[in-house]
Amino acid sequence: MPESRRDEQKLWLILFQIRSVRSRLNLLATQQWLFTTLALMIGGAALILIAAAKLGPFGFLGVSAAVLLIAASGIFAAARRGWAARVDAASAAGLADRRADLKGRLTTVLALSESAKQAQLWPFLVEDTYAMRDDFEPRRIEPRLVSRSLGALMAALLLAVMALPNLNRGGAAARQIASGGAAGGQVTADLSQLQIQPADPALQPNAQIYADPETLRRLQQKLEAEGSPHQRKGLGGLMDKARHFADAFQHQLTGRNPEAGAPLNLRLTDRNPGRASGGPNGGGQSRQMAQNSANANAHRGAAGAASNGRRASRPGASPPAAIPGSQADQMAKNSAGATSQPDQNSNSSQAGANNNANPPEQDAANDFGGGANHGIGADPGHLFGPPAPQPFGSDSFKIAIDAEPSDEASAPGSPAYLPPKVRVPLNPNQLPDEPIARAAVPATEQTIIKRVFDR
Amino acid sequence: MSEAQAAIAQPTISDFARTFRRVQAEIHKAIIGHEEAVEELLGALFAGGHVLIEGVPGTGKTTLVKTLGLALNLSFGRIQFTVDLMPADITGTRVILSAGDGHREFSFQPGPIFCHILLGDEINRATPKTQSALLEAMAELQVTVGSTTYPLAPPYFVMATLNPIEMEGTYPLPEAQLDRFLFKVRLAYPGEEELVRIITATTGPEAAGVEPVFAAGEAAAKIEGLKRLVREVLVAPQIEQYAARMVRATQPHNSRALGDLHNRVRIDAVDRYVSFGSSPRGALALIMGAKVRAMLDGRANVAYDDIDRLAHAALEHRIMLNYAAHSDNVDAAQIVDQVVKAIRAARA
Repeated sequence: MPESRRDEQKLWLILFQIRSVRSRLNLLATQQWLFTTLALMIGGAALILIAAAKLGPFGFLGVSAAVLLIAASGIFAAARRGWAARVDAASAAGLADRRADLKGRLTTVLALSESAKQAQLWPFLVEDTYAMRDDFEPRRIEPRLVSRSLGALMAALLLAVMALPNLNRGGAAARQIASGGAAGGQVTADLSQLQIQPADPALQPNAQIYADPETLRRLQQKLEAEGSPHQRKGLGGLMDKARHFADAFQHQLTGRNPEAGAPLNLRLTDRNPGRASGGPNGGGQSRQMAQNSANANAHRGAAGAASNGRRASRPGASPPAAIPGSQADQMAKNSAGATSQPDQNSNSSQAGANNNANPPEQDAANDFGGGANHGIGADPGHLFGPPAPQPFGSDSFKIAIDAEPSDEASAPGSPAYLPPKVRVPLNPNQLPDEPIARAAVPATEQTIIKRVFDR
Repeated sequence: MSEAQAAIAQPTISDFARTFRRVQAEIHKAIIGHEEAVEELLGALFAGGHVLIEGVPGTGKTTLVKTLGLALNLSFGRIQFTVDLMPADITGTRVILSAGDGHREFSFQPGPIFCHILLGDEINRATPKTQSALLEAMAELQVTVGSTTYPLAPPYFVMATLNPIEMEGTYPLPEAQLDRFLFKVRLAYPGEEELVRIITATTGPEAAGVEPVFAAGEAAAKIEGLKRLVREVLVAPQIEQYAARMVRATQPHNSRALGDLHNRVRIDAVDRYVSFGSSPRGALALIMGAKVRAMLDGRANVAYDDIDRLAHAALEHRIMLNYAAHSDNVDAAQIVDQVVKAIRAARA
């Protein structure tokens, strides 16, 4: 083989190895760009999913915006970095020179391979460089075949795997809701306890309210009195829209959609038919108090006591902040009975109905409108007769604690804040209330006394 | 080109390194220490340049130059520059000679400049006019007297010494003169160990026996052959660009616009302290010196490191500092340091 041919072959091998180094470096640059981009996309999506599952609409919106911003800038930076990391043959030769400490041999061979073949020292340079070909093998110049950014991709995938259960749980919840498993239900509430506030714009209507026509009419009146919640404008409106959007997107991501479930059945009752302003039964306050007393309802008795400016010290006189279970149902029944029979204004019959419906214990507790308690919403019908038995728990008393105003009652139209009542046992120096001993009233004087109280 | 030619080139490169080291070893018989200065001195010789040697009195400047002449076995000339030295004292002059028949005619009497190795001792003691007498000889290897031009026999190598602290009665070297020196070599004070060796070597009964490396009569040809070989060393365009960029970085107002947009180099110190940067001769000095270094390293190509290592020797004396630099106690070496650092960073 001619010597010039062999020199050409050596030169070709050197150049081929430089090209191999270049390919390897470019492969790594491509991997770095690809892996980093994928890691940012997957990691960002996982973070958004986790945020959708764990955070509220505004938190989700903030986190999502931040993640999207970071991911976008990261993807842009990765693309720029990947583009800059690409090498041409000269750069690859320079890099190989530095890493293999070849003192510029490869750079010179590559640069002068076409022009310097006639130079006196060119064959020496080629021979010298060829002798060092083991030093600049691609795997020695760049040992890695896979970019280190694969670690970032793995971390992002791990994050995605951690986020997946959120997605599945959301789907399961959606399926459960769709099958009508848990979300549906029936709640009974009294009209007087309805607190009308502007609805969360993110929430869709998902409740059915039913009541007797009178209660519905009172509800309409109450709504008109409270004023319908107007739609917010300006920044508030934008916030509402953002929240609505975030909420919808969150539900889309997680598959959880509370509104997709069975609607909530709200049974509305009205325990105080006469209290609504402008109602047909909205008579005087004293008449309402009398009705309350006749119904022997503790709540109404307390309300009557409060209207007279006195603190009631009766058991069960506190107005309930929430309606617990069976008691709420019972109250609803009572109210429903009252409103469905507007003509039956007789106190005795109503009281009788209540007595029949209430359990014995409750009857005993409610039946404290006798002579032992005269003077408080006194009813002449109870002035005489045998003394009422001591109510259960009367060896203690209730006190009302005045608290600082709180934000619970800050909404317009909401009921005023009522402090909780606590039961305090008697101390050794206190004696339980004793009923006043009754004496026999002569029949002639009974008529006079009745006439006095009737006035 | 073939392996046979490579086989020829291989011993030639080896020959160069071997000859270089032999001359170096002979010089170090008389000069203790200053290894780097000696290497730069010999590098300038084989690169075809001249050297300005700066050092305090007593550091062996004159001894170094005389020893080099002895080791190379070349003709040696010496000019002691003084304030009353005239250009004709350097180049030579026409004198009236009378022949035996009584006929008289002008004849050119060559000055000490006509030799292979010229020592200009304390060159800054002469006036700039006298100093300028060397310009033509250093750049063009010829001397013009009147209307006649006399060529100088190669190799021609000028070494001028400079006392940095003896400013009294001295003149600054013109920029054109400075630019013609390939390298400026600094001779610093020797260390304690070197000083002990100097005392031992110079106060004994025996003088240093420097032997010539080349045989008489063939030294010039061999040195010229080696100089031609140095010029054959290959330089990649990227490295030439690197040297050019480094030289341009020493020039004020150019340092801000170095390289392309992605490799912009900004050297504030240059703009602030430099009046005039290096001339294109600085780039030539970098490349030629780098070629010698590559040959000494057994390579047929120049590397970036060769350029970096020669930056101080090739550029320092070509940078003219302004008053602000003197005021802030900034010297050319600091400027070159910053330039090299910036250019290297831009390359990476």
